[in-house]
Amino acid sequence: MPAYQLTVNGRARTVDAEADTPLLWILRDTLGLTGTKFGCGQGVCGSCTVHLDGQAVRSCQTSLKEAAGHAILTVEGLSKDGSHPVQKAWIAEDVAQCGYCQPGMIMTAAALLKRKAHPTDGDIEDAFADHVCRCGTYPRVRKAVKRAAGGVK
Amino acid sequence: MTSRRDFLKGAGATGAGLVLGFHLEAKARPGEAPRAEFRPNAYLAVLPDGTVRITVPKTEMGQGVRTALPLAVAEEMDLDWSKIEVVNAQPGPDFKSMQTGGSTSVSSTWTPLRKAGAAAREMLKAAAAAEWNVGVEQCRTEKGFVLGPGGKKLGYGALAEAAAKLPVPKDPPLKKPADYRLLGQRTPRFDGPAIVTGKAIFGLDVRRPGQRFAAVLRCPVPGGKPRAWDAAKAKAVRGVKAVVEVPTGIAVIADNTWAAFKGREALAATTTWDEGPAKDFNSATLEGKMRAALTGPADEARKDGDVDKALAAAAKVLEAEYAFPYQAHATVEPMNATVHMRADGAEMWTGSQSPNRAQERAAAAAGLKPEQMKVNVALIGGGFGRRLGTDFSTEATQVAKAAGGGPVQVVWDREDDFRHDLYQPATLHRMRAGLDGSGALTAWAHRIAGPAVLRSWMGGQKSPAQASVEANGALDIPYAIPALKVDFAEVEAPTALGWWRGIQIVPNVFARECFLDEVAHAIGKDPLQLRLDLMGDRGVVKFGREEADIRRLKKVLQVAAGKAGWGRKLPAGHGLGLACHAYDGRTYAAEVAEVSVEKGQLRIHKITCAVDCGIALNPLGLEAQVEGGIAFGLSALFSQITWEKGRTVQTGYHDFPVLRLADMPAIETHIVPSTEPPSGIGEPPVPVAIPAVLNAVFAATGQRIRRLPLGPDSFK
Ligand code: FES
Ligand code: FES
Repeated sequence: MPAYQLTVNGRARTVDAEADTPLLWILRDTLGLTGTKFGCGQGVCGSCTVHLDGQAVRSCQTSLKEAAGHAILTVEGLSKDGSHPVQKAWIAEDVAQCGYCQPGMIMTAAALLKRKAHPTDGDIEDAFADHVCRCGTYPRVRKAVKRAAGGVK
Repeated sequence: MTSRRDFLKGAGATGAGLVLGFHLEAKARPGEAPRAEFRPNAYLAVLPDGTVRITVPKTEMGQGVRTALPLAVAEEMDLDWSKIEVVNAQPGPDFKSMQTGGSTSVSSTWTPLRKAGAAAREMLKAAAAAEWNVGVEQCRTEKGFVLGPGGKKLGYGALAEAAAKLPVPKDPPLKKPADYRLLGQRTPRFDGPAIVTGKAIFGLDVRRPGQRFAAVLRCPVPGGKPRAWDAAKAKAVRGVKAVVEVPTGIAVIADNTWAAFKGREALAATTTWDEGPAKDFNSATLEGKMRAALTGPADEARKDGDVDKALAAAAKVLEAEYAFPYQAHATVEPMNATVHMRADGAEMWTGSQSPNRAQERAAAAAGLKPEQMKVNVALIGGGFGRRLGTDFSTEATQVAKAAGGGPVQVVWDREDDFRHDLYQPATLHRMRAGLDGSGALTAWAHRIAGPAVLRSWMGGQKSPAQASVEANGALDIPYAIPALKVDFAEVEAPTALGWWRGIQIVPNVFARECFLDEVAHAIGKDPLQLRLDLMGDRGVVKFGREEADIRRLKKVLQVAAGKAGWGRKLPAGHGLGLACHAYDGRTYAAEVAEVSVEKGQLRIHKITCAVDCGIALNPLGLEAQVEGGIAFGLSALFSQITWEKGRTVQTGYHDFPVLRLADMPAIETHIVPSTEPPSGIGEPPVPVAIPAVLNAVFAATGQRIRRLPLGPDSFK
């Protein structure tokens, strides 16, 4: 059983688990980072979104083996104190309802804004096409992304 | 009308008047807290450093109770909002009825919470007055301080110990709404910072020392039982610790969730089932039975005048059938509960909308007394009525018991969640309207046929209130029609049913408001004008035990129509539609939808909503509920659960479409100012969204949609 090395929120971690274990469960169960959520395990809800080398990926569809050797960023690592521009915009627009889907949405927003400082409505719709928010926070998600636009380095 | 609320209140409540176990006594609790804490009642504690801890007796599930309820306390107590702590209540003697459903959290706690805050405020003032040797009338409160003559000032923390020794006033004066400082402001939700940083703990995020994880292999046909299986392959999966049979299936217990899932998959391959009595159940057969029931015997829910006679005498009779499918809750956080069985009792962590009931049932399953089962209520990743059920928390208790020792978290996956929901059932609606020679509506008959939610909820018993609960939204039709009949014909189905956001009001208002639109077009009258005319100048109207103020409904309808520009010239291919409803007679909602249909594609451009839910405690949260409620309603235009061979065809978001960001229309919310006591807002926006959109579709295309869900072929 090989141990896998990965960097999570800037910290080097060695994980001894099966190669096919989704990164989602490594984060949640092995490393105790429960900010990344399980919604479907099928790649269709976006709750489990994290960054892999700066790209938004579905951690339920990314195996430990694929994640090994890469830099992973989760919602816990986005900022020390909630001061990331996307987090601030999320508070300012009071986006969250139940809040469960929100870490995934925030990670998608952060990756989008890094890629494109001023996304169009179409860009936002594309980026969130695979996110489910059963509470219906979408109007505020859109507003919060626009509020944070230009602020993500 | 007996409402669902009466049934939700039931479990665990000992006295309907003491909905919250509210009592005002200074309390010292064993094993807790330094003496300097001031704890005038079960809802709040003033800590020596001036922090005020507010205990919320309802479950947060996104509807904002952990913001709105503390605001009521903070307002009366004049707190500094930045110095409060919010904790969830635990079921027990102080909190006997924590059920969170029916959009009743604010209305049922509004008075006791304000009194709790006001009593504390008066005691703190009295303590300061004694300290300064001045009259209490010379003292006032502001942001966590008592202010006295000559610039005297003392913080609540410093006064806590002295205040705790004073008698608790029975009937403290409450503030006038005009003096509100916090209520009515746009307050962001209390848990926002924890949510955006990933620190908020939902049920699935509970991590206890030594915790194991379990997945239960259940028969895909609800009610089925395993006949034979071989645990060897499951046990061979790395991390799997045990395989145990429980009443709902076979549980695989492991070191981590993934191992539990993988072990379960291996187990499934070896398992054969006795699929039980429901194994041949399917949607097509059920629909046939429901259609037959549209003309057979039924239980009456409302009867005014003689409808049959009025229909026979009518110059013209309109008739139509409306169909609404089964629906799933589809909360993003799947069901889960964590249970730790100990030698002398047990502890549970779960997102429950019915903590008392969860406690009672889990205790029974564990062979314990309810007070031996401590229940910690976690944040809920979506409730919508699903977590009023206790199936998942009872099951987790059974698994933990069978697993022996140590905390176990039972995790459902997405497919479990869809296959073992407590569904909103399908219904068919036979609508008939009689018109006289002048086109006036003289008769209205609404027959509902389908499985009964209330019977399923009551464990198979038929309640005398069944017809009125299942006909909610139909029997409280707000329009004056001389002859009117609403009835419910029950059709048996072997499916577990439960309360869904908006409950039976959703299908019933869909049929009612769309059919009324048909009437308007049949007589060539504007649908807005027809509704206003049928409401007339009536005031409070009684529907059995409920009543509604028709004036308030009329007002929201006029506001929504006015703001949406009802009657304005629209771009080609666009249409406007409207609908309204007085929800449980307490919250009034009207929506106007603007839609277009191009190349078979429906686009919902905008929904303008007006609501009157009494005093608006937090407009920011209230608007969020309107947005979310509309999104929930619009999803039901497209989603359905169907049954084949006793099991659901749908297993996830891939085949049960939920509205996505790109589909979300612009929402404009208008809160009609009111001085009435606050009422719920979680559900009222849901039912009106569907008929508003479908009436707009008719306006845009001339096509009348009577059957949901919409499919790719709906607009050919
Ligand atoms: S949990 Fe990964 S996409 Fe839903
Ligand atoms: S905030 Fe509840 S699912 Fe998105």
